[in-house]
Amino acid sequence: MNHKNFKLTILVCLFIITSISIISCNKADTIDPGETDFKTLEQTVITDFVNNIALGSYLKLSAAAANLNGSVETLNTESSDANLVNAQDAWKKMRHIWEQCESFLFGPVEDNDYDPQMDTWPTDYVQMDSLLASTNPLGIHDISNLTLSLRGFHPVEYIVFGENRNRKHNEIDSRQKKYVLSLANDLLNSCNALYLSWSSAPENFAEEVLSAGNGSNRYGSKREVFMAMAGGLIDICTEVGEEKMREPFETRDPAIVESPYSGNSVADFKNNITGIQNVYMGVNGGKGLKDMVAAKNKSLDNLLQTKITAAINSFDNITVDYEDAIVTQRVQIQQTMSALASLKETLENDFVPFIMTNVND
Amino acid sequence: MKKYFILAGLIMLVCVFSMCNKASVFDPQNYDDRLSGGLSTVFDETSKAFTHAINGLSVQDQQVHDLGDKAFDQTFVAAGPGFFGGLGPVFNNVSCISCHHNDGKGTPTAGQSTSSMLFRISLPGQDVHGAPLPVPGFGLQLQDQAIFGLRPEVNMQISYNDIPVTYPDGTVTTLRNPKYNILNPYMPLPSDYNLSPRMAPPVFGVGLLENIPEKTIFSFQDPEDKNGDGITGKANYIFDSTTNKNILGRFGFKANASTIIFQVATAYQQDMGVTSYVQPQESSGGQEQDDKKMDDPELPDSIVNAVAYYVKTLAVPARRNVNDPDNKRGEQLFNQVNCTGCHRPTLTTGVDINLPQISNQRIHPYTDMLVHDMGPGLADGRADYLASGSEWRTTPLWGVGLFEKTNGIPFYLHDGRARTLEEAILWHDGEAKNSKEMFMNLDKSERDKIIKFLKSL
Repeated sequence: MNHKNFKLTILVCLFIITSISIISCNKADTIDPGETDFKTLEQTVITDFVNNIALGSYLKLSAAAANLNGSVETLNTESSDANLVNAQDAWKKMRHIWEQCESFLFGPVEDNDYDPQMDTWPTDYVQMDSLLASTNPLGIHDISNLTLSLRGFHPVEYIVFGENRNRKHNEIDSRQKKYVLSLANDLLNSCNALYLSWSSAPENFAEEVLSAGNGSNRYGSKREVFMAMAGGLIDICTEVGEEKMREPFETRDPAIVESPYSGNSVADFKNNITGIQNVYMGVNGGKGLKDMVAAKNKSLDNLLQTKITAAINSFDNITVDYEDAIVTQRVQIQQTMSALASLKETLENDFVPFIMTNVND
Repeated sequence: MKKYFILAGLIMLVCVFSMCNKASVFDPQNYDDRLSGGLSTVFDETSKAFTHAINGLSVQDQQVHDLGDKAFDQTFVAAGPGFFGGLGPVFNNVSCISCHHNDGKGTPTAGQSTSSMLFRISLPGQDVHGAPLPVPGFGLQLQDQAIFGLRPEVNMQISYNDIPVTYPDGTVTTLRNPKYNILNPYMPLPSDYNLSPRMAPPVFGVGLLENIPEKTIFSFQDPEDKNGDGITGKANYIFDSTTNKNILGRFGFKANASTIIFQVATAYQQDMGVTSYVQPQESSGGQEQDDKKMDDPELPDSIVNAVAYYVKTLAVPARRNVNDPDNKRGEQLFNQVNCTGCHRPTLTTGVDINLPQISNQRIHPYTDMLVHDMGPGLADGRADYLASGSEWRTTPLWGVGLFEKTNGIPFYLHDGRARTLEEAILWHDGEAKNSKEMFMNLDKSERDKIIKFLKSL
């Protein structure tokens, strides 16, 4: 190689190296349009969760509480078996919404103790008997200062359905009516406060979630919101599959089944898991977590949808009250608990890592 | 030839000792700073960050943990024909979770279903072992709730007045100074009692703290202040009537509880009025409102053991943003102003052959487990064994940056008087006075970096 060719070779090599470097730099600086779309999708999912699911559900819960309040007022003024049935139906309708809301038990519902105020179990028969036998005026202010086991859904359930689910209107005395009236009023106040804590100042929790990673005091990143949502889904899976269902199942003790007076236990459980479906799929045409998962990992989305549906449908195989099913339908209960365990496993082992890997803002 | 054997033997000895040297301590810079609880660390920064079991429990151990988890959440009701009975007759709250929200802290109010604060009380003086003296009719703790129809022992009135604090750079921060009044005692109280508020602390990581060797804690004491930093520190020893010995106190704001099982059983007894094999007497025993039922212990042995195991096996949340330059600078400043004189960043746990996750772990609790004089502003005037009326145990700081997540509104210090970490620092005095003054003399941007560092814990 003569001197001229050597210089030429060096120049060509430098040109190639420079070109490659520039091209490489250019590549690294370019934002993948897909990533931009995904970040937009993340915000849409958060916005739709806040508006359609959280605010939407809590508003419906307030309306259902007002309905329960109205029905027990009617029962109080016009006592009849028909009005008692109306009150029982109103209790179940409110319960339906509340149980679905339990799939996202984060934010004010836990910070401000709305959950234990409305849904403490078990019922304290001893203290309830003392309360009803006393001269306590049973007004709303008296009730809202009582211990948690004398407030919320279950004392209302105990009185309007009766211990053996055969309550007649003329069995409910005036003290019990007054107590139920204040309990329903107390529930309504809690639901209204819960809704306002999301929708309005000073808490305005909706804004805290919506501004995640963009000025929110509670959520420094969007990932934190998605992790909170994932945590809510996993927690309710655990609560239903490993606690509410499993403990009476293993001990064969019907006395520790939640919501026994209304026979609503299986419906409660199913609504808890339907709440998971709401958060994952989105409601009212809004985007859900599934849109994010499907955009990056269609097989995981298919798996999650299949497992959620399987878990929800499995409850239909339990055809008798849960207190009876723990004796007569043990195979079906075991199948449901297995479906919930399988769903929880996928949420923990696949969905959470999906969030950690793909949500970076 | 013999010389060669001796020479070979010596060479072998040198080789053997060289190999021993190889097994030296792992270089600190090779540890992951995020692992606050060593193997017992969990990666979760949501409101549930304090609620996770340590990884790798056996199936059976996990079942015991889960049983304890459920019992921790369980609401108790008045003793009767139903289940989960035994509440009261007087109590502070109805379940563990009622005070320890999300296994963390709670709200500094008293006597309500959402309250997380209780009050210890005693007569002046101490018994022969150093224990506080119970107040006749009230014992050592005021139960401010009661089963319907009975009277709470007292109602507590809590009020605050503002104390502005001015930094050398002119910045003003307002502290709130609490005042506690006892109202409506169910029977006359003596006038000369000592009162001490206690807010429920987080319960995770206590298995690791229980496993810190006593000699490690003891070694942190500097009674003559030989290093001249103004910090002495003292291990608290409490009398254990079952062994008739004084044993090291580790838990509670005055390090006045020795073991997890004792702490758990005492909380059931005093806070909920639920008796167990560890604490079989009702808190109201011998008092006017005692239920006189022959139903003690009310809690099955398996449940109190499971709850103790539950808290023992709760993992420590990992640190966040450890490589953030501000946090790194904040950590340097935290060390520079000698916060680490008491809030010791790194300790090593002892051996526990049953739980490798808490055994021989390099952890970052930011405590020395000693009690220190914290000055008159925080003093309660109520001695508890060796801890005087102004001495408090160094609060572990791990997880302190997550209180806003786990608790909604965060509160700090033993009675929740501090609404921010800055306020908590400004309440430090006594042995911590030098550190506080050095903190106050920093630029605002540097003070902010210390706070930011604390929020990464």
